[in-house]
Amino acid sequence: MKLDIGGEEIFEVGIETLWRALNDPAVLVKCIPGCKEMIPQGDDRFKLILNLKVASVGGSFEGEISLSDKQPPGQCKVAVSVSGTLGQGSGAATFSLEQQPSGTLMRYSGEGEIGGLVAGVGQRILKGVAKHLIGLFFKSLRRETAAPVPQ
Amino acid sequence: MSEPGHRYVSTDRRVREDRRFVVGKGRYVADIGLPNTKHVALLTCPYPAARIKSIDKSAALAMPGVHYVLDGAELAAATLPLMTGLETPNVPRRPLAHEVARYAGEWVAAVVADSRALAEDAAEKVKVVYEKLPFVLDAEQALEKSSPLVHEAHGSNVLLDKTFTWGEVDRDFAAAPRKLSLRVKWGRSSTVPIETFGVVASWDPWRDMLDVYASIQMPRYSDQIGIALKLPASSVRVHYDVDVGGSYGVKRGIKHTVLVGYLSRRLGFPVRLIEDRLENMRGGDAHGPERLFDVEVAFDDQGIVKSMKLRALENVGAYAGRSPFQLGKPIGAIVGPYKIKSVQYRAMAVVTNKTTQEAVRGFGQAPTNVAIERTVDEVAEVLGLDPIEIRRRNMIRHEDFPYTIPSGTTYDSGDYHTVIDKVLKHTSYEDLKRERDALRAQGKLAGIGIAACLEPSGGNAMFEALLNPKITTTTFMDSCRITVDGIGSITATMHTTSSGQGHETLVGTVIGEVLQLDPELIRVTRPDSLNSLPSGTPVGSRMAIMLGGAAFHAANKLKAKLIAIGAHDLGIAPERAVYERGEVYDRNAPEKRRAWADLVQIAYRNFHRMPADMEPGLSVSHVMQVPTGGKLPDASGRVQMYPCTSFEFHMILISIDPALGRPQIVKYRVGHDCGTVINPKIVRGMTMGGIAHGIGAALYEEFAYDGEGQLMAQNFMDYLLPSSHEVPAVEIVHHCTPSPHTVLGQKGSGESGYLGAPAGIANAINDALRPLGISINTLPIKVAVLGDLIAAAQEKKE
Repeated sequence: MKLDIGGEEIFEVGIETLWRALNDPAVLVKCIPGCKEMIPQGDDRFKLILNLKVASVGGSFEGEISLSDKQPPGQCKVAVSVSGTLGQGSGAATFSLEQQPSGTLMRYSGEGEIGGLVAGVGQRILKGVAKHLIGLFFKSLRRETAAPVPQ
Repeated sequence: MSEPGHRYVSTDRRVREDRRFVVGKGRYVADIGLPNTKHVALLTCPYPAARIKSIDKSAALAMPGVHYVLDGAELAAATLPLMTGLETPNVPRRPLAHEVARYAGEWVAAVVADSRALAEDAAEKVKVVYEKLPFVLDAEQALEKSSPLVHEAHGSNVLLDKTFTWGEVDRDFAAAPRKLSLRVKWGRSSTVPIETFGVVASWDPWRDMLDVYASIQMPRYSDQIGIALKLPASSVRVHYDVDVGGSYGVKRGIKHTVLVGYLSRRLGFPVRLIEDRLENMRGGDAHGPERLFDVEVAFDDQGIVKSMKLRALENVGAYAGRSPFQLGKPIGAIVGPYKIKSVQYRAMAVVTNKTTQEAVRGFGQAPTNVAIERTVDEVAEVLGLDPIEIRRRNMIRHEDFPYTIPSGTTYDSGDYHTVIDKVLKHTSYEDLKRERDALRAQGKLAGIGIAACLEPSGGNAMFEALLNPKITTTTFMDSCRITVDGIGSITATMHTTSSGQGHETLVGTVIGEVLQLDPELIRVTRPDSLNSLPSGTPVGSRMAIMLGGAAFHAANKLKAKLIAIGAHDLGIAPERAVYERGEVYDRNAPEKRRAWADLVQIAYRNFHRMPADMEPGLSVSHVMQVPTGGKLPDASGRVQMYPCTSFEFHMILISIDPALGRPQIVKYRVGHDCGTVINPKIVRGMTMGGIAHGIGAALYEEFAYDGEGQLMAQNFMDYLLPSSHEVPAVEIVHHCTPSPHTVLGQKGSGESGYLGAPAGIANAINDALRPLGISINTLPIKVAVLGDLIAAAQEKKE
């Protein structure tokens, strides 16, 4: 089934900081829910290993994430595809960053497709789960980009 | 209902096998415990169409307790493709996908482990690399030249496209003053037994024997296993004494059986596969028809339907199997109970990237009945005729029987007008209309649905030869053996499994009737396939006719032998001997008699007292040919299909909440005539269950897919079954028009209720919608669709 993904988030950091974080595999590994490993494959492509658990349902997934059409520090396209025992998912989204007085505004929009077991069985909750996972990503990203608390 | 002169037949006796079922003592396939049995879990394709690029089994095989991972390439090399009905060699069907997987959920690999849980865990470790392929889901799109091909080597998605013309269709259309056309869709539903399919296979290399225990309902099961595994069928022993927890057609796990049969031979231990719910619903290959009808009728101003053109387009899913034949069975009742003189029928089946179909209750008759009955209602509507009146005008009359329909089947008997009269005597039609109008006055949408449908029964599968001229089968046997043992107890046999139809009761009742002995005294057993007489298995609503018939004839053979023995011992001619409740006496001197024990003593121990040239012992058998069967179709595609036709007349009042679109069945009446009823409890159970099943097909049940080819209804949260909230109390009005072709006048009732309920409900909903100027001809008519449709119509009106 297809899912529309889109929204905006405001980050209390400068656009350069946010851009660097979004392009740093070490940061992304900590932000992508369930991400165990991102193995560089060159050209902004990474092999992705996930162990995802939502409520009582969990499974391991493998896939790829790639960044393209980069226009630093304002815009980038992300494409993800993963598959595992519970099914498979793929999606592509464009995000753009805009410096604002209070921080950096991120707008994102794209489309995802979920198939396999999760799509057939979890259809009712998939949208909620997707929103939850995206929320987790941004929460982690905020934590990772926040200035270290002075000692 | 009870026929005069019967001692046990038609009496309201208990169903003997129900005792073990209600106390939870059935013996199902999951209860079969063979030592050292290993378990199978399946790895399925997540895409509707994909090329299998590679399968990496190493991580799974490294797990302790995991014995094997079987892929489609190995299995395809070692076995033959599964049997199909049509000549479609380039559409091979195999237990595991080979090179290409063709629906989401298709099995790609099987993992064998010490436990099912372990096998499931190991299946997660098997890595399959797929290349996604284009797919097609819709039957009409599958017909288009630009459509992706489900089976490239076949060259098109069309498995079957055959047009029959019976009678002067063009002339009748040209001559008729009125015409009408209608499109009717039957959604993909099925029967979904609570017990999923399961099978245990155990190969013994020292005996050259594959023992099979399965939850099966399938003709030629052991033949098919033998052919696919390249074994003589004499090396396949199917155990029929396994209870089957529900089926109504779909328990045809041949692919499961070939898979575990192969694994057991390959690995040397018993292998068991019990589907879980998900495997059953998306990969068990047990979906039912998904059919699109285009109907055209020509009729006159009095509403007499002169001719009909029917195109049926079936979406069979990814593989052929036997399901395209479900377009053929309705040919035996293609005009329903009506005197339509000419018919053109175009039967089309296409493959798509959906789950493969199997036979479902009625074998395509229920959808066809919806198409016919919706059309008759539309004819009534354009002429302003009452739906019962138009049916009365078109129906075959009692005095017209036997009546030959354009497609060549001669209906055995019927009294449709009387059945309707009886129902209307039970429930006043005028009162029902007043009740409907009162509901309408309260702001509800309310409608009365009428359907008059036939249940062809007795199952001579002549549609095979009609749709595939290479098939020349003109019989569909069933058999019974009766043995009286050396101390006088009676054991009868049947030679197939049952899934709750009460066949043991059937055999006991019929033999008891003939021998005038308490049916409870007659043991009924199920020998395995190697000790069995031929059985066509319980399909085509045939067991009362065929197994009941075989039991009747066998019992009469036994009776004749007992009479001969008794007469000989009494020193009288057999014609002078009378058989009565197990005893034989001299008509002229009733005190001269031989008791049951005497007759047994002579047969088993006193050969010197036996008539000359008679075999000792008391064992007889009968293999029965289908009544009216034995002929191939003629050049114009006319053939006698099934021997008997049962009749059902549905009258339903439905109320719909206009805000929610939720239908509620207020009253349900059905008139039912299946000839002589052998066991009233069984027939009532069949009819009630059939109506519940029909309510599901009409309003709730659908194997719905999303646009990406993913099955959205894989469990009972999404595949909605009617519960006691949705199934109303049903009042059944019986009538008995005996069949001249059967031993007791019985006809089939294994599909009763289901064959007319969807049509009746669709007609009731449409009657309710009529004041809004809308109609709906796509089943299932789901609450959400109905609600939107009503809201849009109301907005338009305002």
